[in-house]
Order: sequence, then structure tokens, then C-alpha cells
Amino acid sequence: MASPELLVERDSADTRLDMRVEEGHGELPNGAPCAGHGAAGEDGGKRSHRKCIRKPRDYIKISVPDGRSSQLPLEWWKTGIAFVYAVFNLVLTTVMITVVHERVPDKEENPPLPDKFFDYIDRVKWAFSVTEINGMVLVGIWFVQWLFLRYKAIVGRRYFFLMGTLYLYRCITMYITTLPVPGMHMTCAPKLYGDSQAKVHRILQLISGGGLSITGSHLMCGDFLYSGHTVMLTLTYLFIKEYSPRSFWWYHLMCWLLSAVGVVCILVAHEHYSVDVVVAYFITSRLFWWYHTMANVQTLRGCPNNYLTNTWWNPVFNFFERNVQTQVPCVFCWPITWPPACFKNSCKKYSMVQSIREE
Amino acid sequence: MKKVAQWSTEEVSQWLTEEGMPEYSESFQHLNGQDLLKLTKADFQSPPLSLVTSDGGRQLLDKIETLRIEHHIEAHKNGHANGHAIVAADGDGGGKAKRNGVLNGFRKDAVQIPIPEPERSPYPVEWGKTAIAFLYAVCCFVFTTVMISVVHERVPSMETDPPLPDKFFDIFDRVEWAFSICEINGMLLVALWLLQWTLLKYKSIVGRRFFFIVGTLYLYRCITMYITTLPVPGRHFKCAPKLFGDWEAQMRRVLKMIAGGGLSITGSHHMCGDYLYSGHTVMLTLTYLFIKEYSPKRFWCYHWFCWILSAVGIVCILLAHDHYTVDVVVAYYITTRLFWWYHTMANQQALKETSQSNFFSRVWWYRFFQYFEQNVQGIVPRNYELPFSWRPPRWSQTKYTRIDT
Repeated sequence: MASPELLVERDSADTRLDMRVEEGHGELPNGAPCAGHGAAGEDGGKRSHRKCIRKPRDYIKISVPDGRSSQLPLEWWKTGIAFVYAVFNLVLTTVMITVVHERVPDKEENPPLPDKFFDYIDRVKWAFSVTEINGMVLVGIWFVQWLFLRYKAIVGRRYFFLMGTLYLYRCITMYITTLPVPGMHMTCAPKLYGDSQAKVHRILQLISGGGLSITGSHLMCGDFLYSGHTVMLTLTYLFIKEYSPRSFWWYHLMCWLLSAVGVVCILVAHEHYSVDVVVAYFITSRLFWWYHTMANVQTLRGCPNNYLTNTWWNPVFNFFERNVQTQVPCVFCWPITWPPACFKNSCKKYSMVQSIREE
Repeated sequence: MKKVAQWSTEEVSQWLTEEGMPEYSESFQHLNGQDLLKLTKADFQSPPLSLVTSDGGRQLLDKIETLRIEHHIEAHKNGHANGHAIVAADGDGGGKAKRNGVLNGFRKDAVQIPIPEPERSPYPVEWGKTAIAFLYAVCCFVFTTVMISVVHERVPSMETDPPLPDKFFDIFDRVEWAFSICEINGMLLVALWLLQWTLLKYKSIVGRRFFFIVGTLYLYRCITMYITTLPVPGRHFKCAPKLFGDWEAQMRRVLKMIAGGGLSITGSHHMCGDYLYSGHTVMLTLTYLFIKEYSPKRFWCYHWFCWILSAVGIVCILLAHDHYTVDVVVAYYITTRLFWWYHTMANQQALKETSQSNFFSRVWWYRFFQYFEQNVQGIVPRNYELPFSWRPPRWSQTKYTRIDT
């Protein structure tokens, strides 16, 4: 007797409820015990059932933020474009070095300029090899670290863009004014005076050797302002530090030492003027910080008084970083396996209250 | 809004729906405002109300209480008599409870509204900080002058170190009077900027920024000048003879240069070696940036005029073969970046705090920046006033007396 009565009433209650409930029954867990169910009687049963599912009109919808995956889209094609940009600038730099080489004044005609560091510290022969070894080690470490990053595409894009831009600036400063060789010890390859084929040959040799003296590919002079070695050492260190866990202080210290020793050794080897190194460090660090502040501080985007957008590369920045809406988190995973297998490491990460959607 | 006591049943029902308690509207169909006010907790403990309520009617009673208070306040405003009338009209049953509710409940639910203290201006004047910035700029200028005279001793002579190859010099030959144009433009721009500055309302803040940026740029210039000495860019240069340790003569040179403002046109600048990077470019660029930043946007004529002055000045430096091209390019780059960096930091509250995502806080001068700009909240508006107008102090602040003092 009670049951058929309940059923009927429940049905009518349901139909009445359907008009009021806006979200649908799925939101409330069906298994949740209704308060006061035991206490009330038959009518109470119907009423209690109704009160469980009832919703006041003024409910508040708490919007759950999108999962990480939509805030940090990978977009490998943009990384490809950045890579092409970087390669283009590297090739342009190589071509520029070859052109500038023809204009370097003779050692006898233009002796090395007075430099404060050279006055105090005499040349050490093997110092430049130390620089180049440090540079190669740093780049190797960075490459391994990059492979293990979760958001490889975004970070890689930034690295290529910054490197490309720094080398582009370097092309300009190298070309407009040619500094003489910093030391009498430097042996410059003979000038070619219009022999284009030989010049192309030199360019290819330089590219294949990575621009390093240690590989014997860099025999050309004139690329002094500013120092490309300093750029690579500084930029790689900044990236290593930025995209690794904060707690790895020993790792950061080691990379910092590699970088600093490398930079000092450039000067000790009398391979660059002090001003080349200082200007290179300044431009690299400022550009890195500028780019990353623009990318990470969301309040700057679309802000009218944001002078950071006055740079010439702002449209390119917008193109690359438009869909990246948050700071790239420090997450690592195995490089070969598919994203769902990403493991969590010691980076501090707060999981969302609901299920972790990006996994 | 009509008093609750005078609500009809429809209004009661409407109020229930608005408050999100539609479950009561069925049971309260016959209730009007007065009955609503008469409801007590006891009513909710027996059918029919006990069947619709889930919390013993507590939420509804609270809302009714709120209604009563609102109307009690209104009634007090309109006159005591009305309030009393409401109390009297409700009579025996709920009246006692309601009166308690009115008196005690009113005090219990009283909300303390804190009166905010008179706000400090978001753009405090703080001339002290401006004075410090001025001192810093003066120090940097003097230091630069000393450095030029030191570097002059180390400049390689023209015979041993001919001018370096420069692309611009290859294309354009030297024009003799070009450097005078550059310096005249520079003086004009500085004068215009000074005039504009005296008309600004927030002189101290803007002045502080100008001095700090100028000082820092000249400090950087000291460093780059000192560490590597470039040879003279052209054979036309007449460099003063070297002094080789004659301190007195060097001091005199320094003072002469400061007195002449470092300009060749005043005849004070005969020293060579201060090439990387170009101080003239710094002044031309920086004064233009400041002029543009702190003048109304619609003065596009004025902005264009200053831009032309600045650009012509810079090109004339190169035409006169007075600086290498790389000096001018590096000076332009450093000046613009520093200006934009500083102003973006100053305009964004988020960048004034050190945090992991705020890379701008890693510059060496961040602490100084915080010291100068921490009390400035927001973007300095472009307001103007005559420099020497006098305003009696009491007109500049409006005070609102408190309600209950």
C-alpha cells in the first residue's frame, strides 16, 4: 500500500521537479543518503526524496578551469617555424662572418685595441678550448634536459626564437663596424677577394663545425662584437635553470660554474674584447627575461600600457605564445613514450580537486 | 518597497520565489505579510510546515528577520510612530517574539561598517626621493666625465690605429657642420623637455624617473667606454694632447667638460675615446621618449616634431663621422629597452613584487626601483598645472565627517 502510493507521488514530484531543476539529475550523486529520510513517515519519505534533489533557484555554478592540456597546446608546427628561423639566422651569421672577414683590417695596420682585461691578465693558450668544451657540455646537458621535458614544443620554440634573434642582432653589430683582431696570436685565414666558390666552401665548413675553433672550422676573423660563445653559454644556462626543478640547486650551481668559467676563459684567451662579452651577456639576459616575463605574466597581455610590446618582434611573440595561457610547469616525462605515461617528479605541482584531466 | 505588514499573498509568494524558497509557496498560499511576520519556530515543528521544511524553517525565519530589520530601520527613519504601529499591529501571538527579535536581534545582527581612513594619494610627491635620484644622476655624469678623461690617455694615436672600417662611413662621406646640428637638436630637445616637465603636475615622480634612467645609462656607458677603447672614427678629429699623470690638468679638463655639458659646440669636449656607446644618442632618444610619454596623446604634431629633431640629430652624428655606427645602434637599443622596461614595471603592480614569474625583478637596480616607485600606485596621469600657482592647503582635501561622531 505504501509502495504504490510512494511511487505515484514520487512520479508527480519528479515531474514537478523537472521544471525546477535546471542542471539535471546527473549532478547529484544518486547514492547519497538523503538527510532525514529515516525520520519522516510516508509523506515524509516523498518530501525528503524531493528535498534531496531540489535545487534552489539561485545556485552558483562553479566553473572548473579547463584542463592543462588546453592551456598549453603543443603546436609542434610553430616549433618547426622557430627552428627554421634559428637555422636561417645561423646561416646568415656564417655568411656575414665570411663577408666581414674580408674587411678585417690587417694586424699590422690595426693593432689590437687597448682592453682593460688584457692589461691585467696575460693570454693563456688553452683557455679557449676550455670555453668550447664547456659550451658543448652545456648544450649537451640542455639537450638531454629538453628531451625529458613534457612541454618540449613550447620550450624548444622559445629557445630557437631567442637564439635566432640574438644571432640576428649579432649579424647587424658585426657588419656595421669591424673591430680589429684582439690579439696578435690570432691567425686569420687569407682573404679571398671575390672568390665566391671558396667563400661558399668556407661557409659550409664553418656550419659543419658548429662555428667552433676546436673543430678547426673557425679560421675567420672579424666577428668580435658581440661574442657568440658568450651568447650560447649564457642562454643555455638560463634555459637550464628556468626549466628544471627549483630544488636542484647543485645542478644549477654546476651549470653556472660551467657557464661562468667558459665566459671568463674567452677573455683569458684574448679571443674577444671585454666589451664584446659584456654586451653579449647584457643583451642575452635582457632578452631572455623580457620574453619570459611577457610570456608568464598574464596580466601584461592585452594591457594598454605595456611597453614591452614596443619591440619589433612583438608580433612574432604573439604568434608563438598566443595559445600558451599559463607558465609552463616543470614536468618531466620519458621522451619516447606517449604523453599519458608522464610521471611526476619532485617538481611542486598541485593537482586539481577533480580528476587530473591532462593525464 | 511596501512594508512587509502590508504585503498581499501574491507578494509573499513572489518574495518566496525570489529568495529561493519556492517550496514554501504552496503552503504559504494563504499567508499575507502580517502572517509571514508572525511565523515562529514553533510553527515549523508541526505539520503542515514541518513537511516542507528541511531545516526547521531556520533559513526562512532568518530571512523574515532580515525583512523585519530592514523595515524597522525604514520605519525609524520615517518616524517612530510607524514602527510602533507595526509592533502593535502584530499583536499577541507573534508580537512578543517579534519584539525580541527587533531589539535583541537588531543588536546581534548589527553590521559594523568601517569608515576608511582618508586615502593617501596614489601619487605621493616625495621630493626627497627625487633629490636622491638627481644626486645619483649627477654622480654618474661626473663619473662619466672622469672616465672620459682617463680613457683619453689610452686612446691609440691616429697613426698607429687608423679608424675602423664602418659601413655607414663607406657609403656616406663626412659632412662638416652635421655635428653642430646634432648638438643644437639635442639642446632644443632638452629645453623642450624641461619646459614640459615644469608644467607637469606630478613633477617629482617623473623627474625621479628621468634622473634614474639617465644616471643608469651613463653608468653603463662608463663601463663600456672603459673596458675597451676604440680608436677615433675619423682623421678629422683633433684630440687634446695626453697629460700622462698630470692630475691637476686632468681635473681642470673634467671641470671644463662638466661646465660645457659635454658638448663640442661649447668647446668643452676635446677629448677622444668615449665612443662605445654614444652619449648624444642617449640624450636625444631619451628626451624624445620622455616627451612623448608625458604629453597628451593628441599632440601628434608636437610628437612628430620632436621625433624629427631626434632622428635628424642621430643621423647627423653618423654623417659627421663622430661615432661609429655600432655606438649609435647600441645606444639606441639600450636606451629604449631600459625606458620600456622601467615604465612597464612602474605601471604594472604585478611586476613590483618579486616572484618566480617576474623576471624583471632580476635586474641589479630592482631594489632602487622599488624604493623609488613603491608608493606610486598606477599609471601617472598626464595632468598639468602652472608651476608656481599657490593653493591654500585646506582646499585640497575634502573631508567627510563621520556619521556618528
